[in-house]
Amino acid sequence: MASLQSPAPAAGIGLRAPHYAEVLARRPALALLEVHSENFFAAGGPALAWLESFRGLYPLSFHGVGLSLGSSEAPDAAHLAKLASLVERFEPALVSEHVCWSSASGRHSNDLLPLPYTEEALDNFVAHVDAVQERLGRPILVENVSSYMRFAHSTIPEGQFVAEVARRSGCGVLLDVNNIWVNSVNHGFDPGEFLAAIDPATVREIHLAGFEAQDSLLIDTHSREVTGDVWSLYRDAIGRMGPRPTLIEWDADIPALDVLLAEARKADAILDAARAAERAA
Amino acid sequence: MSALAATQGEFIDALYSESPCAPGVAVYRRNMLANLGGALAATFPVVERLVGGAFFREAARRYVLAHPSRSGDLNEYGEGFAGFLESYPHARSLAYLPDVARLEWACHECYQAADGGALDLAALAAVAAEAYPRIRFSLHPAVRLVRSDHPVEAIWSANQGGRDGTPDRDAGADFALVRREQGSVRVRAIEEAEWRFLESLGAGATLEQASASIGEEFAARFLAEGLARLVRDGVIAGFAVAEEGA
Repeated sequence: MASLQSPAPAAGIGLRAPHYAEVLARRPALALLEVHSENFFAAGGPALAWLESFRGLYPLSFHGVGLSLGSSEAPDAAHLAKLASLVERFEPALVSEHVCWSSASGRHSNDLLPLPYTEEALDNFVAHVDAVQERLGRPILVENVSSYMRFAHSTIPEGQFVAEVARRSGCGVLLDVNNIWVNSVNHGFDPGEFLAAIDPATVREIHLAGFEAQDSLLIDTHSREVTGDVWSLYRDAIGRMGPRPTLIEWDADIPALDVLLAEARKADAILDAARAAERAA
Repeated sequence: MSALAATQGEFIDALYSESPCAPGVAVYRRNMLANLGGALAATFPVVERLVGGAFFREAARRYVLAHPSRSGDLNEYGEGFAGFLESYPHARSLAYLPDVARLEWACHECYQAADGGALDLAALAAVAAEAYPRIRFSLHPAVRLVRSDHPVEAIWSANQGGRDGTPDRDAGADFALVRREQGSVRVRAIEEAEWRFLESLGAGATLEQASASIGEEFAARFLAEGLARLVRDGVIAGFAVAEEGA
């Protein structure tokens, strides 16, 4: 079954509702289709029917945005049960979540909030990844997020925190190169140091997206093309860890499918060049 | 309480607050209001069209502050919005607005509801005639019934794509049947008696009990014609025969 195979180290796209029919009709060459897990938590109805029509055609990736792995409280049992039944039904190639938190004492922000990078937060995060992997019966990937503030009491650089989560829990890393860039500008650190902290063997997928500048901050809006700086950092990342499945995300002001596919082709060209360089070396 | 729990509790307090906050926290507060407000706008597009974008955004902001999201799945957000509008003083002149919101929430639930099977007509045909009164029909999981003292079906329909917002009726109660057909949500105004009949079935009544609730004359006509349409449309999707004397 195609959906059980590991995705090829080539480009894929985040699949959003405006493109369902066109992707199905055109079947563009893509290594991966990624959807937000929560958009398919319904008991039934058209969203799940669409997802059924893509399985087998492309490897699927379920990317969660609401499990809140970094909350001091354990992941919500009902949320996890819905994810587990979705994963059981569709057997996606990849299941991922974020290195962040979203909810506290029953109130949800429905946003990816930054963690204080402390030993306490690390122990807590690892325990929750362990619990989710145990419940799903498979490893997950965790993605580094963009952030717009930092906690003064953080003691661990973000890249090390992400690397340590993977080392201790056995989960994979979904490396979001755009988020590294956004944070390096917002918080003034060297993105190369972030990359250097990550064990290449743990990286199973890469994300690319576009951001917008608001006041003095870069905001990870997923509303634009990938910028030159981020493509350049992506080349560095691929150079360090070798070709990886790479996903183009676009969630606001969603453009024509061809715009997304053109971004995917740019990633493919960089992956091809990296492979050629590997062979020449 | 752990240091992490304290940090996160304070942060969430700051997001669901209007007090001044650090610029970084303000970004997250704006994001949250935009995300939750956007979820409400996606679920209640007719309410938004009726009151206008700016009025809707402010009502949504106040709703969010008073009704925090309780789930990591945004699709669950907004169940209390109709009730909120009922007591929202600035919408008091629009008496029908809360019921329009109720109808839109019913559409939202209908869209995501389970895929039920179709009625087993062969099994139904095998039921002995004397057992007909004891048939307990069940409604498809995606069926919702909404009633209002206002013509909310007409208002809802007038505000769908391609319509200019002028309803066919401007007074009177509406009895709406919400269902899913080939992946799309359909809303139809039905007769009060038919609505009450379906409501009874939904509550587990037998055919005899449901018919008794709508009057003999209507029941006879309805069983001859209306029932077939409900089966054809997949509104009635299953049945059981109650024990005699049950």
